[in-house]
Amino acid sequence: MDKKILNREEKKVLKSMFIRSHLTFLSFNMTKMEANGFTATMQPAIEDVYKGDEEGKKEAYARHQNFFNTHAVPFSFIAGLSYAMEKEHKQKQSVDVKTIESIKAALMGPTAGMFDSLFFNCLRIIAAGVAIGLCSQGNFMGVPIFIFLYGITQSILKYFCVKYGYIYGTSFIDKIFSSGLMPALRKSASILGVTMVGAMTAGIVNVPLNWTVQMGDTSVVILDVLNSIFPGILSIVLVLFLMRLIKKGRRPVQLIVGIFAFAFIGAIIGIF
Amino acid sequence: MSVITVALIGTLTYWIFFVLDPYILSWQCLNRPIVVAPILGLLLGDFQTGIIMGASLESIFMGISAIGGSVPADALSASIVAVCYTILTGSNVETGLAIALPIGTVMASLSSVVLSFSSALAPYWEKLAVSGKPRAFLAQNLVFSGLIYPLPNVIIIFLGIAFGVTGLSNTLNALPPFVMTGLTAASSMMVAVGFAILISMIWSKDVASFFFVGYVMAKILKMDSLSIAIIGGAIAITMFFYEKQLIDVKNSMVVSEKKSPDDEEDFF
Repeated sequence: MDKKILNREEKKVLKSMFIRSHLTFLSFNMTKMEANGFTATMQPAIEDVYKGDEEGKKEAYARHQNFFNTHAVPFSFIAGLSYAMEKEHKQKQSVDVKTIESIKAALMGPTAGMFDSLFFNCLRIIAAGVAIGLCSQGNFMGVPIFIFLYGITQSILKYFCVKYGYIYGTSFIDKIFSSGLMPALRKSASILGVTMVGAMTAGIVNVPLNWTVQMGDTSVVILDVLNSIFPGILSIVLVLFLMRLIKKGRRPVQLIVGIFAFAFIGAIIGIF
Repeated sequence: MSVITVALIGTLTYWIFFVLDPYILSWQCLNRPIVVAPILGLLLGDFQTGIIMGASLESIFMGISAIGGSVPADALSASIVAVCYTILTGSNVETGLAIALPIGTVMASLSSVVLSFSSALAPYWEKLAVSGKPRAFLAQNLVFSGLIYPLPNVIIIFLGIAFGVTGLSNTLNALPPFVMTGLTAASSMMVAVGFAILISMIWSKDVASFFFVGYVMAKILKMDSLSIAIIGGAIAITMFFYEKQLIDVKNSMVVSEKKSPDDEEDFF
């Protein structure tokens, strides 16, 4: 791949994105997880790409307000890549909207797993081990050593992630587009995206049914019965049902209020 | 130092680390016991106890990881309360450590309640983001994350240090059970809304079946996400080259169609 030289404008945007990418957990919530952090990180990019195009800007903001969740380091990489994709989408129409969504969805699951084990379960333990050894002898140096080993290294990595996410994203898309293979990429990205979303549904969505029905002397646990039909069938039903409502034009706020009401009524009649 | 002074210093330290942790450096760095306990010890005038407790608390909480959104015990609040308690009562380090874990568990369940309420704000953030006012979006998010969101935890931590930990768990137990169950249930189902929105964006008939493939690999075959990504990636790459062939064939047909009129002219 030939080296792409960044111009001044791009450097400015990437620097701003790097600083903002530390806001990964901005207003974190259970509905969309890191979506607010991602939007905040994408703001310099979107403002740059869609300068003077209010409609496009709105659509891009809505796109990056979708559910997002991964580790803080690949977060920066995906943000840099999304900058590249948005730019290609706006300037050459080479990437379509659905591909942007699919690539984001495909990347978040595996990167989260990989980097959580690398940093949270490995580097953190090593750093804490060194620091605990020093601190238990009353040596203060353990604290800065922990911060350096676990925190500063991640921050440095985030810088390179956002930069190379953009550079390689741009050259990759250009190559695919110029050889006319964009429809093929679109198809394979959406296959991977949908597969990963299915896998994440299994891991994250949970319907905590706790309902036992008394039938004469035997008690039947409804969740076990349902899970014996197909494990976690309720999660699939819930997600697909909500998706159907959204496709019918229901607004997310209605769904959220609905879930609160459902959970409370369920708790009162004793099925949760 | 009076109880209230210690409680105020402890609470303020909690607030600062709670807010700073995810935004400076990375997640779970600055709010670890190994960092918090020595600094709180320094502020309360007993640096040595802080350092020693930091080492012990870190070894307790090191193995308790928070992956996938649910936190079994909150290390930050446990460290703050344990260090305050030890320095305040002058008791030995072990007693302080003994109350650390229960406090961590209580605070973790409280956090999930606060989190489920903050989910209700998701539509508001979306509206604000789409409105095209980037500064307002960032400013309001920062105010919310820095001042409003930590408030319930901050109040509980203050009351816990000032009036004792037992009062805290008694109050939580006095709530009617359906409140906590309802909130926990709502919180764990809330993520389905975010997922449903995401899926509705990338869903199409020709690839929808892969949703179930991914689901089965994760739920029934219990594969980790990297393995699923490798299998999914293999299918996607195969599909990519298959589509590439189709595109190549289509292109060559277009070329031959263009040629054919000339051929006909030559023939006649």
